[in-house]
Amino acid sequence: MPKKYLKLAVFLMIASTFFSVGITHAWANEVVVYVSEDQVFSEPILKDFEKETGIKAKAVYDTEEAKGTGVMNRLITEKNNPQADVYWANEPIRAVVLKQSGITMSYASPNSKDIPGNFKDAEGYWTAFSARARVFVVNKKSSGRPSSILAYTEPQWNGKSVIANPLFGTTTSEVAALFTVWSDEQAKTFMAEMKKNGTKISTNNGESTDLVASGEFDFSLVDSDDAINNIRQGKPIEMVFPDQKEKEIGCLLVPNAAVIIKNARHIENAKKLVDYLLSKETERKLAFADCAQIPLHPGVETPPDVPKIENIKVMKIDYTKVAQKLQEIQPYLKEWAGY
Amino acid sequence: MSRRFTLFLFVIIFAVIGLLPILQMFINSVVVDNHISFVNYQMFLSSSRVWILLKNSLTLSLLTTILATAVGAPLGLLFGKTNLPLNNFLVFLFMLPLLLPPYITAVAWFAILGRGGILSGVLGASVTEKTSSFLFGLPGCVLVLFTTLMPIVMLLTITYVKTISLHLEEAARLVTRWRTVARGIIIPMILPGILLSSILVFLLALGEVSVPMFLRYDVFPVESFTQFSAFYNYSTGTAFVIPLILITFFVLLGERRFLRDKTYQLKTTDSGEETLLVKLGNTKWLLFTVVSIFCFALVIMPITALVIQSASVSTYLKALERSYDSLLRSICYAGIGATILTVFGYFLGYLIHKKTFSLWRAVDSFTIFLFALPSTVIGIGLAHLWNRPATNFIYGTAAIIIFGYIAQYTALASRITISTFAQIPPSMEESAQMAGAGWFRRMFLIIAPLAKRGLAVAWLVSYIFCLKDTGISMIVYPPGQDTFPVRTFTLMANSPTHFIAALCVIMILITLLPMGVLGFLYRVKGLYK
Repeated sequence: MPKKYLKLAVFLMIASTFFSVGITHAWANEVVVYVSEDQVFSEPILKDFEKETGIKAKAVYDTEEAKGTGVMNRLITEKNNPQADVYWANEPIRAVVLKQSGITMSYASPNSKDIPGNFKDAEGYWTAFSARARVFVVNKKSSGRPSSILAYTEPQWNGKSVIANPLFGTTTSEVAALFTVWSDEQAKTFMAEMKKNGTKISTNNGESTDLVASGEFDFSLVDSDDAINNIRQGKPIEMVFPDQKEKEIGCLLVPNAAVIIKNARHIENAKKLVDYLLSKETERKLAFADCAQIPLHPGVETPPDVPKIENIKVMKIDYTKVAQKLQEIQPYLKEWAGY
Repeated sequence: MSRRFTLFLFVIIFAVIGLLPILQMFINSVVVDNHISFVNYQMFLSSSRVWILLKNSLTLSLLTTILATAVGAPLGLLFGKTNLPLNNFLVFLFMLPLLLPPYITAVAWFAILGRGGILSGVLGASVTEKTSSFLFGLPGCVLVLFTTLMPIVMLLTITYVKTISLHLEEAARLVTRWRTVARGIIIPMILPGILLSSILVFLLALGEVSVPMFLRYDVFPVESFTQFSAFYNYSTGTAFVIPLILITFFVLLGERRFLRDKTYQLKTTDSGEETLLVKLGNTKWLLFTVVSIFCFALVIMPITALVIQSASVSTYLKALERSYDSLLRSICYAGIGATILTVFGYFLGYLIHKKTFSLWRAVDSFTIFLFALPSTVIGIGLAHLWNRPATNFIYGTAAIIIFGYIAQYTALASRITISTFAQIPPSMEESAQMAGAGWFRRMFLIIAPLAKRGLAVAWLVSYIFCLKDTGISMIVYPPGQDTFPVRTFTLMANSPTHFIAALCVIMILITLLPMGVLGFLYRVKGLYK
């Protein structure tokens, strides 16, 4: 090999090493954020934060396959060597688990004062913002409209319903919430009846929505963003908020949550990011984005197909109890799902 | 002394980077509350799901291997042993899926067969309901992995065909027909190569994560990943990878036992010696048409589907805007990784080739073993070993990704280097030694220039594998330093299909870029002369 190529190779190696180190350390004014919310929705918010504050947001995003818990588990394994400053959870339950593990710290953001009390931790360890609702998608050709989650057990819907695997994601939260709203016995009876009624288990909410849209099943419980997106794409489905009548339990809201990590290296920047995430403007952006999330601040502008929180009957739950119940019922759910 | 010390140092570094994480994983899985316990394995074995996963994993790997061998070996023979027109170009086309992250091929097939894919526009939604069901599950996984891994069988068959002595074939041809030569000489001589490639395909299919993940087919590597990341059950997660480690270990043990001496060092025909080609005669154009149609269906059609799906300037601009930083990082990390891997491959390859230490066989075996392990296993092992305040300079920086590359891909560089060393007459180094040149002088001024072509190939192959790595990077990448395949993978959730298609096309282009540059240097600047 001619010497000039050798020199070029050595130069490239040294240059790329410096470039790499430069990439790692160029941003002293930074905040490290671990994100469970889908990257396609969360990244633009973080980019806006960078533009508005000049603080570089270095992120680690979850993959769909990690069921939204990948970065949460990374935070747990990094407990003694924390890398993150902020955790953007896509469910408060994950924030509760981190609080229980002693990984997070308390912070009462000034932007959290208008958020209803049941959407924030009493000690300030997490605060929720922008929520998905758990709704029914119903095929337009279906002969009826399910109005309550109990439809899963009704003979009228035998073999006509589908639900995402309750071992993962928001369906786990839904089942855990039902265990706290009802008694254990009632919830287990419901689960058994649902199975007996021929309910199909799908891989995730997206697949459930597709199965209903294609007419293979009449209805499914999914997240509101799945429903709204598919309706916007012209799929033949309708969105129904379950249990809205008097004496019914209401529909479950699954908000995001912002959390500051204990011993964060960039604590001031972490607070600025949490303030930013909890702002009305961020909620407005997430309502207008394709994730179509429902703002928790009252009076935030939303597109016509995203309902305002004041117009929904919300399931009254304590997220801390739901988190505890979720961990408690894991063995039961594994057995139920045949794992 | 300097020789032994340097080589020993490389072995130690490789052991720390590659083997220590795996060893630590195993120890952690059998130590419960400071006592040795197999409770994790008992829990694992008592689950009925384990046997379903084992059946799924083996079915997927076996079907992929059978198909890849049944198609790859004849194709390799056709390209390596006949005068088929445009055979080099066709080899390049068939090789393309091997150069890409496998999930990109899955996305490409999804662009055709999925609901709302190109086929639905042509044949209607009712047909794609069926094709989508076909894709999401075992048949789809086999199709994608076959497309991705078949080139391994094809390329190794071509390589082994080139090792057959021209004189041997000519002598045989004097007394008999090609058919008998094939039966008596060619096939017996290339059979070890075909078996070796089948083993590689089996192990790579067994450890593949991203394709079964994307196509929703439950196999061991996916379950292990889920146990680690979704359930945060480190011990059970380790228990779930042990069957994979054991299968890999025993398959490689079998390879060592039965194929070792036949596949260890590849020596192409003597310099300047042509390969004796079979003249296809009248069937040449018929075979060319059949192979071209097959190539179109298997490779060109899915890639074209991605291009069609993404065909808008604004989509590409948006894709670049969302990913240019990870794109630059990927190229940079792959460049650094490939350079370090070439250095590792050079020294470890030398150690194995010269049998410098008695542990040369172990070094060779472990590089292959780590190459065949699922990438997520290596990623998880690395994260747990280096995630400590004292080693944050590794865990918190891109060094952890480079470590992953070294752990998994050293075998590629070392194997290519070994084959290159086999072509260099030992007398070259011996003469320099006799003239008083020290070991380093010989390594850098005698052997390296003689091996430059092999080293360039080792660098290129390492670059491609580092660039397409998804499993390791996905688990260990430090905040804000994701690679392009990881960015594409995480953006897949809820992103529009045309946007993902554009990212996949960009990935294809950056993979081909260094091949184009090296090809240019080869033709214009005479790099290899």
